[in-house]
Amino acid sequence: MIDNKPCNHHIRKMEDQTHSVKKHRQPRAGPSADKKKAKNKHVQELTAQQRNPKAFSVQHAVKTSRLVQRSQDIKTKKTHIPLVDRTPIEPPPIVVGIVGPPKVGKTTLLQCLVKNYAKQRLTNVEGPVTVVAGKNRRLTLLECKNDINTMIDIAKVADLVLLLVDASFGFEMETFEFLNICQVHGFPRIMGVLTHLDAFKDNKRMRKTKKRLKHRFWTEVYQGAKLFYLSGMVNEEYQKTEVHNLCRFISVMKFRPLQWRITHPYILVDRTEDITDPETARRNRKCDRNISLYGYVRGTHLKNRSNVHIPGCGDFTIHDMQILSDPCPTPDQEKRRSLNQRERIIYAPMSGVGGIVYDKDAIYIDLGGSHSHNKREEEEVQPANDLVSTLMSTFNPLDEKINTSHMTVFSNTAPISDVGMLGDQPSQESVQEGERVRRKAVFTDVLDDVDDNSEEPKKKKVKVDPTEELVFDDSDDDEGEDGNNAFLKSGFSLSTERVNCTEQSNDDVEDDDTSEESDDDDIEMEEMDLSSKKRGIQSVLGDNISKEKEDGVDSDDEIVLFANKKTSSDSFDQDETFDNDANISDNDSSDDNDDENDNENDDESDAESDAESYDDMDVHTVDSIKSPDEKSVKGSSDTKLISKTRKYSHETKASVESSKITDSESDIESDEGLGDEADDKETDENNESDDDIKETEDVEAEEESESEAEEGHLKWKSNLAELAAESFRKRQKERINYRKLIYGQDAGEELEEEKNDDDDDELGGLFKVLKRKQEKKTDERLSINKTDCSRFFIQTVQDWDLEEVRELIKDCFVTGKWDKSEDAAARLEQDDELYGDFEDLETGEVHKEDNREIDDEEEDSTAEGEDDGERKRTKAEITADEKRIARKKKLKEVFDKQYDMKDDSEFYDSWKQENEIQAQLNRAEFENMDDDVRVNYEGFRPGMYVRVEVNNVPCEFVTNFDASYPVILGGLLNVESNVGYLQTRVKKHRWHKKILKTKNPLIVSLGWRRFQTLPLFAIQDHNFRNRLLKYTPEHLHCHSVFWGPLTPQGTGFLAVESVSGVMPGFRVAATGVVLEMDKKLDIVKKLKLTGTPQKIYKKTAFIQGMFNSALEVTKFEGAKIRTVSGIRGQVKKAVRTPEGAFRATFEDKILLSDIVFLRTWYPVEVPQFYNPVTSLLLPQEQKTAWIGMKTVGQLRWERGITITQNQDSLYKPVERKVYHRKPVTIPQDLQKNLPFKDTPKILQAKKNPIKRVAVIREPKEVKVAKLMNMMKTLDDHKKKMERASMRERVTNHKKKQGTIDKKKQQKQKETKRQIYKALGQLEKKKNKFKK
Amino acid sequence: MATNTLTYEGCNYLRQRLILATLSGKTVRVRKIRSKEDDPGLKDFEASFIRLLDKLTNGSKIVISETGTSLLYQPGLLIGGKLEHECNTQRSIGYYLEALVCLAPFTKKPIKVLLRGVTNDQIDPSVDLIKLSTVPVLKRFLGTDEGLELKITRRGAAPDGGGEVIFSCPCRQKLRPLQFTDPGKIKRIRGVAWAVRVSPVTTNRIVDATRSILNQFLPDIYIYTDHLKGSQSGKSPGFGLTLVAETLQGSFLCAEAASNPKGSPKGPTIPEDLGKETAKILLEEIYRGGCVDSTNQSLTALFMVLGQQDVSKVQMGTLSQYTIQFLRHIRDFLQVMFKVEPELKKDDDDDDLQIGGEKLLLTCVGVGYSNVSKAIM
Repeated sequence: MIDNKPCNHHIRKMEDQTHSVKKHRQPRAGPSADKKKAKNKHVQELTAQQRNPKAFSVQHAVKTSRLVQRSQDIKTKKTHIPLVDRTPIEPPPIVVGIVGPPKVGKTTLLQCLVKNYAKQRLTNVEGPVTVVAGKNRRLTLLECKNDINTMIDIAKVADLVLLLVDASFGFEMETFEFLNICQVHGFPRIMGVLTHLDAFKDNKRMRKTKKRLKHRFWTEVYQGAKLFYLSGMVNEEYQKTEVHNLCRFISVMKFRPLQWRITHPYILVDRTEDITDPETARRNRKCDRNISLYGYVRGTHLKNRSNVHIPGCGDFTIHDMQILSDPCPTPDQEKRRSLNQRERIIYAPMSGVGGIVYDKDAIYIDLGGSHSHNKREEEEVQPANDLVSTLMSTFNPLDEKINTSHMTVFSNTAPISDVGMLGDQPSQESVQEGERVRRKAVFTDVLDDVDDNSEEPKKKKVKVDPTEELVFDDSDDDEGEDGNNAFLKSGFSLSTERVNCTEQSNDDVEDDDTSEESDDDDIEMEEMDLSSKKRGIQSVLGDNISKEKEDGVDSDDEIVLFANKKTSSDSFDQDETFDNDANISDNDSSDDNDDENDNENDDESDAESDAESYDDMDVHTVDSIKSPDEKSVKGSSDTKLISKTRKYSHETKASVESSKITDSESDIESDEGLGDEADDKETDENNESDDDIKETEDVEAEEESESEAEEGHLKWKSNLAELAAESFRKRQKERINYRKLIYGQDAGEELEEEKNDDDDDELGGLFKVLKRKQEKKTDERLSINKTDCSRFFIQTVQDWDLEEVRELIKDCFVTGKWDKSEDAAARLEQDDELYGDFEDLETGEVHKEDNREIDDEEEDSTAEGEDDGERKRTKAEITADEKRIARKKKLKEVFDKQYDMKDDSEFYDSWKQENEIQAQLNRAEFENMDDDVRVNYEGFRPGMYVRVEVNNVPCEFVTNFDASYPVILGGLLNVESNVGYLQTRVKKHRWHKKILKTKNPLIVSLGWRRFQTLPLFAIQDHNFRNRLLKYTPEHLHCHSVFWGPLTPQGTGFLAVESVSGVMPGFRVAATGVVLEMDKKLDIVKKLKLTGTPQKIYKKTAFIQGMFNSALEVTKFEGAKIRTVSGIRGQVKKAVRTPEGAFRATFEDKILLSDIVFLRTWYPVEVPQFYNPVTSLLLPQEQKTAWIGMKTVGQLRWERGITITQNQDSLYKPVERKVYHRKPVTIPQDLQKNLPFKDTPKILQAKKNPIKRVAVIREPKEVKVAKLMNMMKTLDDHKKKMERASMRERVTNHKKKQGTIDKKKQQKQKETKRQIYKALGQLEKKKNKFKK
Repeated sequence: MATNTLTYEGCNYLRQRLILATLSGKTVRVRKIRSKEDDPGLKDFEASFIRLLDKLTNGSKIVISETGTSLLYQPGLLIGGKLEHECNTQRSIGYYLEALVCLAPFTKKPIKVLLRGVTNDQIDPSVDLIKLSTVPVLKRFLGTDEGLELKITRRGAAPDGGGEVIFSCPCRQKLRPLQFTDPGKIKRIRGVAWAVRVSPVTTNRIVDATRSILNQFLPDIYIYTDHLKGSQSGKSPGFGLTLVAETLQGSFLCAEAASNPKGSPKGPTIPEDLGKETAKILLEEIYRGGCVDSTNQSLTALFMVLGQQDVSKVQMGTLSQYTIQFLRHIRDFLQVMFKVEPELKKDDDDDDLQIGGEKLLLTCVGVGYSNVSKAIM
């Protein structure tokens, strides 16, 4: 710009200089201007639509409407019903089924694929093979045998099907059968693979064949379906590049959710194990087996203890389920694109890939690479193998077996014990020292805490075998501990308690963890723990008989304890705190220098504390006698107390050394676990008193803390009180474990009962226990037969007249205080912050928020000093930024509301959004939960590798197991394990040769199942009547009804007539869909009853022969009947005789010869026949030859029996009688009135009534007659001649007369002419005159 | 077919077991029904309930032992349609209606049932309560309230009854998942004070007494008086009050009380006492709080489980014993556990709102239940 200025100036100068040259000026007026104007007259620029509006108007209304319709149709077709996206985050491996007729190269392809993925050659493939295909994709490859059962099963589970076709041969029936099966059970992705292309010598022929096959394939699958060509073989394998390409296609394949599979969980079993007790199996080889099945959960969440169906085997209930670590995990998400050798895992337990390593609940496969196998695994595996082997090989009694097996485990496993089984360590060292026992246990816990994830499986192991540990502990006890070693005792009892905890619920462990976290390393926390422990004690008082028992096992002290049962909680607590304090001082003074390994010192101190506590106990008893309340409830309080005090003393000791701290912590934790649990039970029983308890506890806690604060000679203690109080409060919030309150009780009760039984034998203090048992029983009995009522009755209503109580709910009402996010005033303020500056248009005032803000800031900064002020300012900046963002967001929302979503797709969009939100919630809800707990809530989610135990499986499943037949564990929804009538819409397949007959057995594949049943075919009339059909109609849908497992409406099914062997033709007989389920049904067939009239009075007739009894008639009173001639009538009433006759009325008089019909419908019964196809149970060689019920025809054919035919049904030559018509007779009256010609001519009819009589003449008479005859002949002749002559004469005469007449006429004519001539002339003359 | 039978003892929670058995298709056996009592076996009202269930289903098999102390129930399919049932007067209609409400959405044909018996008594939730608080809960799961109706045509107080209600409910293929964690604040309190065969002044006395307590909290209170005469008033005298507190988010908390039945040993009830008592029960209910009131907790839990395989989440007050048992039964029959945890108070607020007792969040994943009875075309 700066440059330009002088330039312009320069130009202007130039202009000035050339001023003399005039610029041309266009004429504005005058003729030349007009001329120009006329020449290019300005025309208004118009759009085509403006210029020619008609062209753009709707000219063909119908056409336009069709156009609109079409565009809308296309738009609507694109929309699908939005579904909630329930795909798991880590999906299970994709099931790739390799299907085709025999000898097309399925196995070869499978081997090539495996080799491509795992870089390893599998020689013998059996069962599913799982390989890692990419960074986040795994495949389970599965070969399909040429057996229709297998084909059906694979169509139900495969996500992707490689359909192999021998190109040199073309499509085979199996291919089309499989495609049809797929169509019924939800269409998986299908990719065609043409093999044997090298068989073509002629290139052109090959091209043509390829094209032909491709188009045929497209019509079957969809237009443009992928068909892959494998051109030739190299060394008995497909070409490497081609296989690689195929794999690339597989890896980018996308899948559509299928309705059946997203609603049903299923497992494609890749490993099975027989876990029956070998002893029972040995005794009875045919006994039902318990098996465990392994595989990935697919579809949807599979729940423990739910019903499942194993196609080919039957229905079962899951006995137990566990999660296992994934044997073939997807590689971690790393930056690199390709997989390294270690990540190329192959998992095929049935195929026996080399180097298999078994564990109790997992199987490891060694790929031989140096990376893939580390030594640690081996070490772990080793003992487990031993365990298994000892278990398997010995034939000793069970308990012995467990013992021995365990011993071996522990003796062999120094490394394992290091990592930690809780129970084992004490067992080893218990002889030496009680302390150590616990310390070890804690150590494991700490370890667990530190690396929780890594130790997961081991932890589980501990949980799994609590009984074993128990056994172990007992044996220790027997080994000869001195019963006086109370310290050890307490430790021991604790450990057993702990076991109980774990047994009752896995959750305990979690609780422990959380408590540990809160504890951590602080010494002070111990105090707090103690307080919580006390709570535990209190709440335990109620109902934990079992604990009492455990504590009381073979210790004489405990017997004493049983005696003092009655303690009021308050006094008890106070005393206890006192005790504890005393103990603390004691221990502090005397036991500080105690080493943890020092046995005797410990014992002494313990003895001391014991003594003290015993004293206290006595006091309690005195106290408690006074308090009559809750006698029976406070069972084990004192026992607890003792152990607690002991522990306390121990803890204080331990507090000196940090190593010991952890030790004691564990104990406390275990106690807490118990305490919590007991708490829950208590709350369960008396919910109402809960609050009170809380209060009292509060008070206690305060007291405690106070007393401790008063002590004060240790500085940390003062701090501790606060902390304890705080954490106590915190705990109280999450005190009630609702999970255990609701679900955890039943197990506990059972346990108690068992314990009771045990104790009866051992204990001397039996009497009271029994009594309480009795009480409990009565209680239970009362509760099980209490009134069933859903209302929440309150025993103690709060006193709502009090102001404080009313305050408690004051914010529940709109009049109360609001949450900040909702409060109107607060929101107004917030809005002000966002839209602070605005101009009041009426007054013209401008309100600014910035000033105010700055003011505030200034105030802040002045108040708080410069450093703080600076910090504040930055904060303010941020907030300003945020505010701006928030404001923008709000504006955008408003804008969106106004302009978006106004479309006709608003409903659809909002629906989709709703589903999105739901999907997010589904994912987020249990996301951070531990898997062990999580499976309880939502079941085992798809993608998990699980072990499923199923009991009572027929032994044939195990003995006749063949891995090449897929085993599927299909989950059933709730009602699906029941049977009922299914009404289905069905159509015979047009390629199936025969039509299907009602009540002939058919094998139906429906849902997970394959079963044989007897369907009835029917068609629905217009009044919704289902009329039975004897056969399926040829090209029409019909209904079919059969007895079978209830399956949700809309599920597809297919039917085959036989599954055994290969039949000629297309085997799929019919396909259909389930419409309805019921326990009764209404299929009818037509029934015509006939009868004959017995008597007829005008329009009333008595009909007989239709019914057999009067009762039957009454049933049909009022029914419509009809004669053959179409006269309609009604059944009126039965008559007495003959039996079954009735009176009926008709619209006209019927004839005696009429037959009377009654048309009615007869309900047909569907046979309740449901026979699952048990193909998996058959011996190996018969697997493909399952034969169920046969048709009668089949049986006859097999046995060579011919049908006994009903003679009446046979066809005979038709003999028709000649028809004789009756003459018409006309009544006399009518004849009289008829004209003569119509009258029957009776005379004619009587023409020859006289019969001629043969006359025999005399000779004379003969002569006379001869003469007469001759004369007559002569006479006749004469007459004849005369007649002829006369005729001649007449003709002659006529001729003559004719000529005469002619002449005469001519004459007349002439005269006439002359006359007329004369007349004419006269006339002429006349006219002349006139003129 | 491998249908394992579930076995229970005692007649308590019999309804729950039968309802869940019907819905899940599992066979249930109940033993030791009042086996140790003087009058052993099933009582008339339970028999009546079983008969109602038999009318409602198709193909169910019920075997009761000779003494009546054990019962085997093998469920059929729900058909619904038009029904009539004479409810036993030992329990009120609410006893039967509660179970019907649980089953109604899963029938073959929309249910329309006419029940006769005691409409209000002191034990069970009355029909008023069901109308005021259960129907809105049902509506949330059904989506709409089209065809959903509970009509009280006649009122009949305990002990002789004579009342009549008509309940109609549409059937569904599936239920909607429910997220309802914020009950909102109570905006109004409504109620019905009813009286049959007593002086019409009674209702007004009840209303006055109730208002005297509730007005301390909220001004928007209206209690309808319902005094019935003639054939509509049933066979025995009685009166009572049902109160409902409605929140901004559409949750209904209900409380009720009824007078002592004629000839009860406790003597006649004073209307004022009843009014005050009911108001206090309502306050107690508000103290407990939650998005559904205590009588509907079990129904809500059931419908949450019977939803699609989605997460449902509802806030509730303290769980009643009945609900806790129901949750246990749900686990037995449908293998679903609820995540029950107390709702954490927001930490950012230093001044806590006074909203009564502890609130629980119940979360569960539906089992993907669908109505197997309903036909598709």
